[in-house]
This record gives sequence, structure tokens and C-alpha cells, in this order.
Amino acid sequence: MTSLSSIEPAPRGLIDVRPALSVVGVLLALLGTAMLMPAMIDLYFGNADWIVFAGAALITVFVGGMLWITCRGRARSITLRQAFVMTTLAWLALVVFGALPLYWCNLNLSLTDAIFESMSGLTTTGATVINGLDNAPPGILFWRAQQQWLGGLGIIVMAVAVLPLLQIGGMQMFKTEAFETPDKILPRATQISGMLTLVYVGLTMACALAYLVAGMRLFDAVTHAMTTVATGGFSTHDASFGYFDSAAIEMIAVAFMLLGSLPFLLFVRIIQGKPADLFRDTQVRVFLAILAGLTALITIRLLFNGLPFGEALRDAAFNLTSIMTGTGFATDGYHLWGSFAVTIFFIATFLGGCAGSTSCGIKTFRIIIVWEDLKQHLRRIVYPNAIAIKRYNGRPLPDHVSAAVQSFIFLYMALFALLAVALNLTGLDTLTALSGAATAISNVGPGLGDVIGPSTTFAAVPDAAKWLLSAGMLIGRLEIFTILVLFIPAFWR
Amino acid sequence: MNGLKPISALPQELRLGRVDYASVMSIIGLVVMTLGIAMLVPAAVDLRVGNPDWQVFVVAGFVTTLMGGLSWLTTRKAAARLEVREAFLLTTLTWIILAAFGCLPFYFASLKLSFADAYFEAMSGMTTTGSTTIVGLDSAPPGILIWRAILQWIGGVGIIVIALAVMPGLRVGGMQLLQTESSDRSEKILPRVSAMAGTILAIYCTLTFGCLIAYWLAGMTPFEALAHALTTLATGGFSTSDSSIGHFQSDAIEWICTVFMFAASLPFLAYMRYLRGGLKALGEDPQIRLFVILAGCAAAVQAMYLIISNTMGHADAIRLSLFNTATILSTTGYAAADYTGWGPFYNAVIFLLMFVGGCAGSSAGGLKILRLGIIIAVLKQHLSRIIRPHGIFPVRFGSRRVHDDVAVGVSGFLFLYLAAFAIVALVLNMTGLDGITALSASVTTLANVGPGLGPTIGPAGTFQSFTDLQKWICSGAMLLGRLELLTVLVLFIPRFWR
Repeated sequence: MTSLSSIEPAPRGLIDVRPALSVVGVLLALLGTAMLMPAMIDLYFGNADWIVFAGAALITVFVGGMLWITCRGRARSITLRQAFVMTTLAWLALVVFGALPLYWCNLNLSLTDAIFESMSGLTTTGATVINGLDNAPPGILFWRAQQQWLGGLGIIVMAVAVLPLLQIGGMQMFKTEAFETPDKILPRATQISGMLTLVYVGLTMACALAYLVAGMRLFDAVTHAMTTVATGGFSTHDASFGYFDSAAIEMIAVAFMLLGSLPFLLFVRIIQGKPADLFRDTQVRVFLAILAGLTALITIRLLFNGLPFGEALRDAAFNLTSIMTGTGFATDGYHLWGSFAVTIFFIATFLGGCAGSTSCGIKTFRIIIVWEDLKQHLRRIVYPNAIAIKRYNGRPLPDHVSAAVQSFIFLYMALFALLAVALNLTGLDTLTALSGAATAISNVGPGLGDVIGPSTTFAAVPDAAKWLLSAGMLIGRLEIFTILVLFIPAFWR
Repeated sequence: MNGLKPISALPQELRLGRVDYASVMSIIGLVVMTLGIAMLVPAAVDLRVGNPDWQVFVVAGFVTTLMGGLSWLTTRKAAARLEVREAFLLTTLTWIILAAFGCLPFYFASLKLSFADAYFEAMSGMTTTGSTTIVGLDSAPPGILIWRAILQWIGGVGIIVIALAVMPGLRVGGMQLLQTESSDRSEKILPRVSAMAGTILAIYCTLTFGCLIAYWLAGMTPFEALAHALTTLATGGFSTSDSSIGHFQSDAIEWICTVFMFAASLPFLAYMRYLRGGLKALGEDPQIRLFVILAGCAAAVQAMYLIISNTMGHADAIRLSLFNTATILSTTGYAAADYTGWGPFYNAVIFLLMFVGGCAGSSAGGLKILRLGIIIAVLKQHLSRIIRPHGIFPVRFGSRRVHDDVAVGVSGFLFLYLAAFAIVALVLNMTGLDGITALSASVTTLANVGPGLGPTIGPAGTFQSFTDLQKWICSGAMLLGRLELLTVLVLFIPRFWR
């Protein structure tokens, strides 16, 4: 194997983390600038917290700027290993600095709570520790929504520009041929992120407008639009969407949650004048089919509960879309719909949306790939001598992608089990531990049961469990491998 | 080979003809005959203690032998051809039909089980699961008790032969890795079966006999020793008492049981190699290594938890942790103590271990150590590739190269296993079981373990309170799990029959 490592293009040895730090610096400066928005809102409403936001913004911009200035200067290319370090470092740094306003504001959150809330925001999870959102200062509410919105945008750019090049967990299927080498990550990210941001902003504005027309206040409309398109799930009310109790608003939310969990590159394709690609995409089709199937099951279950058809469909569609896309809005305590519905919700938690969107979980394309593997295996069993080619989206599916997807799913389930057992050890009951682990690594938001169910918050969970859940959210968001490789000695040699 | 052409476009000579039912029926006839003759053992036992059930066994034995004999006699001339599709059909049908005949004594005996209960019990026996619907084993007639043990023993040796001689040829879910060096890749299944069955049976009988003697010396009655030895080696778990191994209240018996459960969940190929190459050959098997590491870690975690949480003393904690690791990993399902009350952490560990199972090539069920090893090897390769995208990293399990089609097969199996688990749990849930009972019933039947979790089907409970529908679902899940899912599923593909 030693002879093989000599073809390695990138020099081994100690990693130069400076390029990574400089990117982190730029991102931090942007985050700091973004904090001025809630500062202005608090100032407008006359809330004293504006000083907290301004101060946090100053510190964040300062640290980010210093990082950028001291670490810049190198060429605009980074190696593969630097990309891994950069991705993980960027999320960690943004979470820590994003927690500053939450820690200092007049809600008096503990450091654990602030980090949890910030992590839940940036990873677009939507699990909250704050009780009494209805009376919370508008600056904080806006900041939470903004964090999810930024997190969502970050995910899309990462999923489209970075992860395919890192070749993890089958994401290499989404590599566009033009950019194949890691040193193109930065230019590629800059180029693609422009288009994606445009789509993202457009969708958010459309969503906000629709909410406004359907009867939300301006503030609610904007914050909810940001968390809907990001498939985040933070709300400005404790009762989440149940507060509005409007079928129109729920249908708008369903539509935009769906849009948020479709591959954003296909939206870019639409702008480029190829709208048919969206419906020709296997992933989109399967995702919609699974969602429709599960919604039908839940609707039927609710009909048995005696709900009229319209209401059953509305409740089922909204809550299931919210869970499967990893958003986490709730209109009703679906944990009370009977154990059959609960099981479906639990399974939907894992499935997730499409790759290249803001949604999370195992993701539809991986399910398609294991299904193709299974089909090929069965074909081979019946006809041992025939050669069968598996395909994904019309393209042949290489075996190494299958292996990557298989590894991902195995790790995902193993991580889920480990996290659940660890949560269990911190004293949570079995249902809370299981659903907490699932909801954290799938970045959904609410769990099941009395402690962390859709109608409660994570405030009652012990601190150790909050740290575990925060770690779970980050690992799930970064597709496990991005973080896992950092713990492999060979990576650092 | 015509490469990319779809299968339907393959030339006629490459396509398979009609399925040869005659040879399938003839072999099943032989096996059913054997089962019928085996029913004479419980008949003799019942006759000796004067239980009227002996008549049931004699009649059932007669009917079974007759049916098997007729099936064999009418079709035996055709028994020349046994290829891939016949082997699939044969494997699945054998288990379904043997369970059907094996349940006759339960149905007609003085216990008065319903047909669903009787079939469940027989399927649980034939698949070496060990879930039971009978309450009051301590006062049950000895004939029935020994019959349950014999069913498991036959099911155990049957699955080992299938796993070593048939499945590698069928390439089900990565099982081709079990191919022995001597056996070629030909599709001649029958000669391989007859070549291996003798050795396997000899090893199996020797181990059973050793276990029997050990139990007897440790204080069991000869009858109990025989019944438990039969079910220990089959990793089955049927006991002669409602409180299972816990009935004996003996540390020695629990240790013996632990040792033989571990022994029974090692690959029988390794024993064959041991006979030729000594202990070194045993330690070189990558499956055994991984199994020992996993079992050691699992037992250590459990023991530490039990000691730290002050549930029991050191010696008890170590013994019971090892016992429970062995009974769950080997998918036996004996219980020495009711762990339901030992805290959610302990139960979570047990739940996770249920999925894993023992080594492939033994009578243990579950995902199997072989597949776990392959998944870990693929994972390692993927990680190496992430770090060095241009390196070449072959997937290896032990010293053997894992080919891509094996990895794909394992991937498909893992997906199916998890999907089957979710679907069975969901369906059981729909029929009215609570969450933990449905989840653990699903995994315990698919992995052929035996007891579940929770108050109903936990180590101290039985499946008796299940409705008939739930029992049929569980019987189906046991069959699916025992035959590695794909063997059964392949029969439902239309293309299989063309």
C-alpha cells in the first residue's frame, strides 16, 4: 500500500489550517453582520436587548475579521483535508458565536441551553429549550429564525458544492463533471452559491408574501417564511402553527416545506429554462411518492378516529410533511394519534428529503440506491450468470457508491442506537431517548412522548442530554463522515 | 456473455426451464419421513411414564411417515436435478411443511392448543426461535417437552446444513463467502449436501452429547439434561420449565449453558477446520475474532452497569452478563433471571444485541457476525477512500477479498432486514400490541431469539396472550428470518417462475 500512497496528489504531513480558518473568518464576519438585523428590530420595538445584539455583532465581526486577516494571503485553493476541517470548524464556530446573543439576552438561558438553541437553529433542527415564545422579545425570535435561514442556505451550498467532492456517503453521485478536483471547492462554492442564494431568497420572499396574504402579521410571516424554506421549524409561538389554526396557512407551509426539501440545483435548472428536469428526477418522484403514501396511511388512521376527511387530510399532510422534511412544525399533538401513527412518524423521521436541499435524515436518494442494490442482488440470485446494471436517474450506479451508501446507513443506524443508549443513561425514559436520538441526528425537531413531544420543549431535559443532542444534531447535519474522518489517525498523518 | 442485454433477451440456453417440482417433492418427502420417525421418541417417552399422549405421537408419526413416504415414492425417479431455483423452493417449503407436520402432536395432545398456537410452537421450534405459547411447562407431559426439544434440534442441524451447503451456492445476502475452499462454484447442490451433512451431524451430535453429560453432572435429571442439551446446541431456547434455566438456581448449570451457547453460535466450518488444523485454525477465523470481541465488550458493558447501579454483586453481575450476552447473541433465548426490571439501559443493550446474532454457518439467527464484519470492512474502505481518494483499497474480511457483489448482497440484506423489522413491528402494532411489545416481538422473531422485552413477552412471559393473527404474523416472521429473508422473498418475484 505504501507504493500506492505516492500517487497521492496532495502533500501529506501536518495540515495547514490557515485557509480553513480564513474561510471560517469570512463566514463569522457575515454572521456578525447578520446580527445587526435583530438589533435593529429590538431597537425599533424599544427592547433593551438591542445592545446585546450589537455587542455580539461587534465581537463576532471582530473575531471573524481578525481570523480572515491573519490567515488570508494563501492561494484561493484548498486541499481535500482542509475542506473537511473547514466544514466542521465553520459549523462549530458559527454555532458558538450564534449562541452569544441567546446567552446574554434577558431570557437568562444557561450556556448549555444557548448552545443547544444555537445548534438547533444552525442545523435547521428546530428543537427549542425556550418556553413562552409568545412573550419573548422580537429580536430573539427573529435571530432564531435568521439562524435557521442561514443554516439552511449553508447546508444547500455545502451539499451542492462541497460534499460531492468529499465523496462521502454516496454524495459523489451529485458531482458535476466540470468540477472534479478539491482545489476548485472555493471558486465552485462561490459560483454556485450565487445562483442558489437567489433561488433561496426568491422562495423565502414568495413564502412570506403567501403567509401575509393568508393572514399572518408581517413579523410572523417573515420569521415563519425563513424557517419554513430552511425546513427548520422554529416558530414565534409555543403552539407553533396550531396558533394560527388556518387551513390556508398550513397548506402554504406544506407547499414551501416541500419546495425546501427538493434538490435546489433543479430550481437553478428551471431558471436556466429546463423545468422538466424537476419532474424527471428519480429522487423527486420517489420522495413525493413516499410522502403521499405515508400521508394516505395517516389520513386513513385519522378517519378511524372520527375526524372528517378534510380535517384528517389537512392534519396528516401538514404534520407528516413537517416531520419527513425535517422541519418540525406542529399543529396538533400527533403523539396522541395512536401508536400506529406514532410509528409512521418515527419512521418518517429517518427518511428525510432529497439530497441538495435543506432537509435532513437518510435522504431519498440513499433509499433509492439501497433499493436498487436489493433489486440487483435478487436478480443475481435468480439468474447467477446474467449481468444486471443498476441505474440511478438513468445513469449506471457504480459499486463504490453502493458501498458508500451502505456504510452511511449502517453508521446512521449505529449512531442512532448509540445516542439513544447514551441518552437513556442520562436518565431519560426509553421513548424520550429513542425519539430524541432520532430527532436530533435527523434534524427534525420535536420528539415523541410527554417530555419532548410536539407540544413541549427540550427545557426539561438534563444538561448532559442537551450536549449529547447538540452533538447528534451536528453529526447528523454534516452527514456523519465529515466529522468521523477527523477522528481517524490516518487523516492527520 | 451478452453483457448489457436485459435478461429476457438472453439466448434460450442461458435461461432456466420450468421448475422441477418432482425432485423438490421427493426430497421433502424424505425429510418428512425422518420427522415422522423422530416422533417415535416422544411416543416412547410418554409410554414409559404412562401418559396417554403416546397414542397421539404414534398416530402423528404414522401419518407423517406415510405422507412423506408417498411423496418420496411417487417422485423419487425424478430426483436427479436440483438447481438454484429448486433449491430455493425446497428450502422454504421444507420449513413450512415440517412445521405443519411437527405441529400435529401439539394440536392433538392433551394440552389442547389451538391450531395457530400449535403451528406457532412448531415453527418456533423448527426455526430454533424458542418463543412459546405454552404456559405451565413444569407440569406438561414429558412427551411434548421432548418433542419441542427434538424439533429445535432438527431445525438447528437443518439450518447449519442449509447455510453451509446450500446458501453459498444460492449467494443469498453475501453467504457465498462461506464457500469452502474445496467446494467449487458449481451449481450441483446435492453432492455437496451429502458430502458435508455427515461431518456436520457428527460435530453436532458430539457437542450435544458433551452438553448433555455436563448438564447431568451439574445436577439436572437425565431427561432435563437431554431436553436442554438438544435446545442449547440448536440455539433454540425451549426449556422444560416456565422459568427456563433460572428454574435450576445453579451457577454451574448457567456457566455450562453459557459455554455451549457460545460454542453453538460459532461457525461449524471452523470446527471442521479445527479437526484438520488445530486451535490455530479456530483463532484465524475473522468471524470468530469479531464475535469474541463483540461478545466480550457487550458483556463487560452489562456487567459494569449492573455493578455500578448496585443491581447485584460482582460475581452475579459477571455471570449473568455473560449468560445474557450468550443467550441473546446466539439467539437461544434462555432466561436465567428476568432482566425486565434492570433499568432501561440494560434493556436497550439487550435490544441492540438481538439484531446482531451469532456467526453465519451456525444455528444462530440475526444479522450475523459475517455480515457485520463485511459492513465494517466496507465502511473502513469507504473511510480510507475519503481520506485518499486516489488510493486503491480492496475490501478484506480476514484474509479473504470481499467481492463487490458480496458487498452489494450484504447491503441489500441489511436494508431488507431493517425494512422487515419496521414492517412487522408496524403490522403487529396495528393489530393492537403496545410499542415495546411490537418492536421487540418483531426483532425477536426475525432474529429467531425467543423472548422479547416488556411485561407480556419478556423473559418471564410467553406469546400466549397474542391473538391468532399476531401469532401467524410472528410465525411468518420467524420463517423469513430463519431463511435469511431473501430465500423466501425470491419466490415472490414473477421472474423466478418463468
